[in-house]
Formats: sequence, structure tokens, C-alpha cells
Amino acid sequence: MSNYSFQTASDALSDSRALISELAHPFARFLPISGASISTFGSFLGAETISATDARAGRVDELQFDLGEGPCWDALMKRQPVLEPDLTTRSSVSWPAFLIAIRKEEIGAIFAFPLLFGPLQLGAIDLYSVVPVSLAPEQQRQTLVLSAIVSRILLRHAISGDDLSGDTSAYSRRLIHQATGMVLAQLGSTAEDAHLTIQARAHSENRPMREVALDVIERRIRFDPLAEPGETIL
Amino acid sequence: MNEISRSEQLFDAFTTLADTLVAGYDVLDLLQTLVENCHDLLDVDSAGILLANATDELEVVASTSEATTLVEMMQLDADAGPCLECFRTRAVVSVPDIDIGSSRWPNFSATARAAGIRSVYAIPLRLRETTIGTLNLMRNTCGELNPHDIRAAQALADVATVGILQERSIRDASRLRDQLQEALSSRIVIEQAKGVVAETANVSVEAAFALIRQHARSHQSTLSGVARQLVSRDLRL
Repeated sequence: MSNYSFQTASDALSDSRALISELAHPFARFLPISGASISTFGSFLGAETISATDARAGRVDELQFDLGEGPCWDALMKRQPVLEPDLTTRSSVSWPAFLIAIRKEEIGAIFAFPLLFGPLQLGAIDLYSVVPVSLAPEQQRQTLVLSAIVSRILLRHAISGDDLSGDTSAYSRRLIHQATGMVLAQLGSTAEDAHLTIQARAHSENRPMREVALDVIERRIRFDPLAEPGETIL
Repeated sequence: MNEISRSEQLFDAFTTLADTLVAGYDVLDLLQTLVENCHDLLDVDSAGILLANATDELEVVASTSEATTLVEMMQLDADAGPCLECFRTRAVVSVPDIDIGSSRWPNFSATARAAGIRSVYAIPLRLRETTIGTLNLMRNTCGELNPHDIRAAQALADVATVGILQERSIRDASRLRDQLQEALSSRIVIEQAKGVVAETANVSVEAAFALIRQHARSHQSTLSGVARQLVSRDLRL
């Protein structure tokens, strides 16, 4: 597995043919961990395990949903990774019920990375190892980069079912392109992210994209740049 | 405008068009120059060009004003209106009074009236069997366009069309389609760039477009080239 590099993982995730249910696998292959799971929860998307590399990874997710506590919740609320390299020596953590519940799962280390897109809280990635292990700063940084890719995939996937574009006239597209330009300048982002931001806003307000675009152009709404998670460790 | 200065200006317009064609050009720049020429030289209040995309829908690619009502009106026209009819029949469509026959195109007529437009003259951009779009001349008064202006507009449209079609061999239909599709995709980046400048310079979309054109002209760059730099944030206006 050592030749499964960060780049290979990134390519695997970015492959447009990749199945949503396979998204956790590249993490387990490029990091020194036993398994990974990806779940959506929070205010924007329904609680659901999207992908898990194995049954134990799936149970780690499920327990956190059932108990309403655990590293993935903390990661999302704090917008920062939660790192527990050695659970065997950890006694006082903020999730006592979860710790007791996973005792029989033989988990040595657990890490959770938030899935965010701008202000939107989408979910988290849980990584576990049966033996205690640390993630090097470089591995943490790379995991954040991959998390950002996963966030965009999940968001696009969630929105793809919408009929937001309802009217796809050339005139609406023009407004949306202009608004995309304004938003990319507001966020300091790419055009793709700006477009996705407008789409996500339309999705959450259940309005046509054209309306949100017009609000942007007429300066009734604007988007503020948010610090990416983990900027402090970069 | 007296006849002599008018002829001189028309001559200048053709020279500019010819120079652009000889020097190599960007289709969108050429079309933008064309609508501006029409606006400056002819007795019209606004002008615009629609090009057919890969699925034969017409899209606004150049207009003398960014006023949303004008653009929206032309886009409605592309669904049902004189431009669409002109494109389909590949013949000139003259509507000297939009109130007459407005029931044929209710959305278009209502929006046109709201934009202050009273008459429309649509010219196909066509060379033999190939029609790539339409040139639309709008006036805020009723009546036919005068014969002089009709000839001048037709000639300007023909030169531009021949230029576009000659650039790539007209026998190579797929490359022509690619080129026009590319022009339409460049339009996306130009629209985004307008948004970027509207935000960073805190001006209207219309003023943003003027800034972008000014910059392109003074740096002898193409509109799409400047737009790409603005969107990638390598350039600030």
C-alpha cells in the first residue's frame, strides 16, 4: 500500500466515474489506518453514512449518530480535525458514552475531519486504526485537501437531484454567470466553487438559481470568505 | 449627420472590420465591434447579435447595452420573435411597429415595449446555406429603417459573416461549429468577468463591461483573453 500516494488518492476521488459509496477507500489506502467512513449530517444534509471501508468503520459512524456525540460531531462543530492518536490512554474526553460504546470494537486511534463548503456543514470523515497511531502534519494537511474534494462531490451529488435551474434559458444562464463572477471575487474562490455556492444557497432556500443570482447582482446578498478548516496547522 | 462624414465613418467601419479580419481576431470582439458600428453609424437606438449554439438555440453574444431589459428582450426574441423568425426563414424580418402583430409574440412585445423599443429590424448572418445567427437593430420610434441604413447594415453583417465563415474553411462544418461554440463558451467567461469587476470595482455590470472593453482595447488584447485573466484573478481592474 505504500505506493498508494496522496496523488493516487486525489486522482481516485476526482475521477468523475467514482461511486459515492467508494469515497472512503482512498483514505484508508493512503493513510496508516485500518478503515474509514464518510457520513453526512448537520444542518444541510440528512444524517447518512455515505461510504465505509468495512463493517467496523460503519459501526463507528452509526454509534456517533445514535449517541449524538463523538469525534465527527466535534470536528464539524469546531470546523477542525479531531485527533485521538491513542485512545487506550485517553480517559477524560468530551464523549464518555461513545468511548464506552466502542470499547468492544478494539479501536486504538480515531481521527475525524470535517466536511465543509464555505459556511455549510456537510458531515465528516472518520478514520480509525486498531493500534494507536499518529498522523504526521503532512498527512493531516493532505487529508484536509482530500476532505475538501469530498465535500464538493457530496454537495454536487445532493444538489444534482434538484430542479433548481428550472428555467435554463440563456438569459438566466447569463445572470448566473455574472453572479458567479461576483461571488468568486467575494470568496476569493474559483468560478466552480462560486457557482456551487450559489447553487447551494438556492438549494437551501428552495428557490431557483436565477433568483439567487439576481439577488447577488443587485447586491441584496453577498457571501463572506470563511477560513478553511485546519488553516492553523498549515 | 451629413452625408460626407457619414460615408467616411462607414468607410472607417469597413476598414476596421477588414483590418480585424486580416490581422486575426476573436469572434466576440468582431461582433461587439459590429453592433457598436451599427449603433454609431445607423439611425438605430440599440443593436445586438444572437448566435446559434450547438443545439440551434439563439444566444445573445453582443449588445450595445448591458441593460438587462434589452438583453432579456433579445433573449425572449430568440424563443419567439422577429429574431427567431429571421433565423428560421433566413430572411430579413422588419417589424415597423411592435404593437402591430404583438399577439404573435406577446412576451417579446411586452418586454420590448417596456424597454422603450418600438420597431425592430432583424438581418440574418448568413452565407449561402449557412446561417449562424442574426443581427438585430432596434429603434425607439415606429417606422421602417431608411433604405440607406438597410444597405449599410446588410453590408456590415455580410462582411462580418464572411469573415467568420472564411476564418475556418466553410467546407469544414464541424470546425465552424466548434469555433462558434468556443465563442459562446468564451461568453461564459466574459459574463463571469463582468461580475468580478462589478464586485471588485463596485460598479454596475454595464460599467464593468465598459472597463473590460477599454482595457482590452488599450492593451490590444481580446475580450475573452482579458476576461480569463480577470476570472483567474491574475488581473484587476
